[in-house]
Amino acid sequence: LAYMSILEYNGGAVLAMVGKNCVAIASDTRFGIQHQTVSTDFSKVFRITDKTFVGFPGLASDTQTMLNKLKFRIKLYSLDEDREMEPKIVSNLLQTLLYEKRFGPFFVEPVVAGLDKNNKPFISAMDLIGAPLLAEDFVLSGTASEAMYGMCETLYRPDLEPEDLFEVVSQCLLSSVNRDALSGWGAVVHVITADGITSRVLKGRQ
Amino acid sequence: AMATSAMVGQGEVLTGTTIMACTFDGGVVLGADSRTSSGNYVANKVADKITKVCDKVYLCRSGSAAHTQAVAGYANLYLNQHAIELGEKGVSVKSAATIVKEIAYTNKEWMNAGMIVAGWDKAQGGQVFAVPMGGTLMEVPFAVGGSGSIYINAFVDKNWRAGMTRDECKAFVRKAVSLAISRDGSSGGVIRTVTVDAAGQNKEMVPGDQVARYQDEHLPTLGSNAPIFT
Repeated sequence: LAYMSILEYNGGAVLAMVGKNCVAIASDTRFGIQHQTVSTDFSKVFRITDKTFVGFPGLASDTQTMLNKLKFRIKLYSLDEDREMEPKIVSNLLQTLLYEKRFGPFFVEPVVAGLDKNNKPFISAMDLIGAPLLAEDFVLSGTASEAMYGMCETLYRPDLEPEDLFEVVSQCLLSSVNRDALSGWGAVVHVITADGITSRVLKGRQ
Repeated sequence: AMATSAMVGQGEVLTGTTIMACTFDGGVVLGADSRTSSGNYVANKVADKITKVCDKVYLCRSGSAAHTQAVAGYANLYLNQHAIELGEKGVSVKSAATIVKEIAYTNKEWMNAGMIVAGWDKAQGGQVFAVPMGGTLMEVPFAVGGSGSIYINAFVDKNWRAGMTRDECKAFVRKAVSLAISRDGSSGGVIRTVTVDAAGQNKEMVPGDQVARYQDEHLPTLGSNAPIFT
């Protein structure tokens, strides 16, 4: 089967959105090899510190490798600095990790979402060689990105409370992946507030 | 569909698909998913891939949407003319299948179409004819086609039996298509069925949220307290 890019080999979608003193990050849970679905419990979003999540949509092998590299550096930072890495720094670190492989890159386009030490929301995304996108409203990445941009631009409004943010993020993600053959088969949504993290699994269509 | 979709340009609309047709005691059941994809984009979530070509004969379409719609159009034209000549006798399923085969075989160089013709006529009852890519014509008790068919070949081989009732056959077709949808990224949406027998033809649909699911035990787990939303 022909595919346009190695980033479309496994498929997947990740979305992060800012609310009132909270952030949400969500991912679909399909793992496929081109058009064959292999498993339906493969979330691309991982908790890497108390209040920070990172998503790695793209080639599944690099999803796992980047996660391991990042976790190593996070732990080393904690030992060196005796404090947790803030989301803005996590984002910066990912940019350098990716650009180090400028001419033989990792095929992931990461999304970072978290609360800094003052519980102020932070989100960012980047391309596979580390070019950052810092946004105040939402960021997203993956094979359903065009559809997700349309949904987010339509449904987003600032200062959503955590329960409403969960609903908006869920609808944006689910409607988008229903139009993508390579994403879907369920979703996981994490909402991060000063009080803690609420994670929910969604049963999608297909 | 898998072998030749590498040959079609990006942007051509494909019915990467699961289609099947199955005889039972007294008629046939045709079944299909409803996803039309253009590359990875799902162009139509609720497509109808089971097309009537003449009274009591239907065509399941897989491959290029444009090619198969054209074939269905021409087959419909020729079979209408044929029906006028035959009068009350009615067009046989074999004639309909042969017309479809002629179009597919004659134009085989340009075509990307895997089709199944199935229906009911007074002389022979329910019949299924497979017309895979290349333009072969084969009468078979049941047939599967499209990119999703590879996942259910063994299932249908094992589970089809002669002399099923209408409801058993419909359930069998729905189960097979749902299994293929479960594994094939190019198949999805709703499950459409058409049942053709002496009494007439009946089009039905299983909505997307009611399609059987086989992977729910394999949804990600978040610990015992995390809720699952449907």
